[in-house]
Amino acid sequence: MGLAVDIVKRGGERASESFMQEKLHASIVAACLSVRTPIGQAESIARSVTETVMSWLADKPEVTSYDLRRVAAGHLHTHHPDAAYLYQQHKIMM
Amino acid sequence: MDILSSLLVVAFAGLIHASFQLSTSVLTTLGGHAFSARKSHARIVGLTSSFVFGAGLMTVLLVSCAAFVIASAFGTTIPLYAWSIASGVLFGVGVAVWLFYYRKGEGTRLWIPRSLALYLSDRTKVTKISGEAFGLGLVSVLSEIIFIVGPIVIGALVLVQLPAQWQLLGVLIYTVISLLSLIIVWALIGSGHTLTGVQKWREQNKGFLQFAAGSGLLVLGFFIFVQEVVTASVGGI
Repeated sequence: MGLAVDIVKRGGERASESFMQEKLHASIVAACLSVRTPIGQAESIARSVTETVMSWLADKPEVTSYDLRRVAAGHLHTHHPDAAYLYQQHKIMM
Repeated sequence: MDILSSLLVVAFAGLIHASFQLSTSVLTTLGGHAFSARKSHARIVGLTSSFVFGAGLMTVLLVSCAAFVIASAFGTTIPLYAWSIASGVLFGVGVAVWLFYYRKGEGTRLWIPRSLALYLSDRTKVTKISGEAFGLGLVSVLSEIIFIVGPIVIGALVLVQLPAQWQLLGVLIYTVISLLSLIIVWALIGSGHTLTGVQKWREQNKGFLQFAAGSGLLVLGFFIFVQEVVTASVGGI
């Protein structure tokens, strides 16, 4: 379940998909776990960041996956800078 | 070259090989995904160990294959044109590394085809057993062949001139030294460090790593050219 927002993938090279709150939540949990954050803390951080991102998305019909990741990383940084750094490094490491 | 000088050249070639970063990127990503999946410490160590072993095995195979081809073509006496070509390859790859090893912008993206990078990234994400990690190690070394071909060929050219037992030692030296960056990341992961520090260091120092790798190739190429081509030519006059 999520907002009716389209996520434009890879600059339009791939088909857009609808925003899914669970997917964003899971990606942030994964980023927190990758820096050895306890699972409870990771879930709590993910809930907080997801709510903030959803507030940002409320008035937007369409955003790029890059912008979504950038905004999420910005909010994640206030909770866990290391996790935010690796979250931003996703797919630009090789 | 005497045996000690030959082994030092092989070691230096291995050090240049170690400065290339694709396998390190894949290993770092593999560690991150393993942590995210909440795998046990033993499983994470197993995955990373298998990856490093795969990378090491592919390195041994590449060096041995190059040495076999060279020995089959030339025997133990390498002609001057082969040394010249090898030096030329080192100069060319060295300049290419200086110019475009890392892509511009944030992160540590390399100048490899994006489809290959995405394939490695996707495969890393779904790697769950040691066998898959081993295969990933094999592929990651092979994926960077265009950059490591210079050190491998030079290492092979030097090794074929050595007695058999020194050849084996030379292959071992090259492989171990070429795996240094992987071994360091492997040790950090296994000892409980987070990957943030590793990746931050790599991103902050990618300019230095790029310059060091390119310079190393140029220095090695220049040394080989002077040692094997110029000296032989002057001696023949």
